[in-house]
Amino acid sequence: MFKKIFFQGLAAGLLAAIASIIYNRIYFFAFGVNFSKLVNIPVLTALNLAACIVAAIGYWLIKKWFGPKADIIFNFSFSILSFASIIIPVSATLPFDLKNPELFPGLTVPMHFFPALAWFTLNPLFKK
Amino acid sequence: MKRLIYPLAAAAIIVGSAFTVIKSQDWKIGDDYSVKFSSDDPSGVFKGLQGTVNFDEKDLASSKFDVSVDVATINTGNGMKNTHAKSDKWLDADKYPLIKFTSSSITAAGSGYQAKGMLDFHGVQKEITIPFTFQNNTFSGSFEINRLDYNINTAEPNHGATTLKVEITVPVSKS
Repeated sequence: MFKKIFFQGLAAGLLAAIASIIYNRIYFFAFGVNFSKLVNIPVLTALNLAACIVAAIGYWLIKKWFGPKADIIFNFSFSILSFASIIIPVSATLPFDLKNPELFPGLTVPMHFFPALAWFTLNPLFKK
Repeated sequence: MKRLIYPLAAAAIIVGSAFTVIKSQDWKIGDDYSVKFSSDDPSGVFKGLQGTVNFDEKDLASSKFDVSVDVATINTGNGMKNTHAKSDKWLDADKYPLIKFTSSSITAAGSGYQAKGMLDFHGVQKEITIPFTFQNNTFSGSFEINRLDYNINTAEPNHGATTLKVEITVPVSKS
């Protein structure tokens, strides 16, 4: 069972990474701000993969402990944790040489929901 | 007529000397300058440094700094903090858009120099002394400032640090 959940995490991580990279490019062209020192393709790929693999491990554990109620508990937990995590970019202190730090949350806050969004999008495919 | 040559020459020299001004070197501020402030909370930088830098190591008496930074350019690395810092509760960038320093005297001090002058900050003018060095066409100086001396959020003296260390590095080129 863990193998299937692991691949769901991997697929969700890749999908979230692709979405983040696309959003990063759109944001760059829309606002002309460059946070590539902190937010770039390797960082986005690694963080989204890590988030979804951690989510997969969490899902596997919840499934083990709570059985049929696992999906409800996991979905709520994933959404709440995604929401709570936005405090990280909002309160982050960026290097002083980066201009327009007030535009940093606008870039990164939506990205914090991409792992959950990707997981929920792919979930029906892995339920079969 | 011959007798008048020397008196006329002397007069010419005296009159000519009136138009001779001993002028110390003007320097152009380089783009890579940094105006940093640091404390436990907050720390950051200012941009928008401009003004005149007139400095000659051999003629300190006629050397003078008259510079300012743009308050609205404050960057603490956090957008919310920047907004707070510029608000009327703190630096009030709309009412006091510039922080100005005008030196009144520059003297040698130890291995460097010190500039005594007026700091105009948040509507308060206060005399301060900034020790600095000048090496490789770069001015480097640091000093401490107490925000309460400049009436900055005196209602909350314990909100964040009151004393901030200001470090200034200004590369210059001959203008």
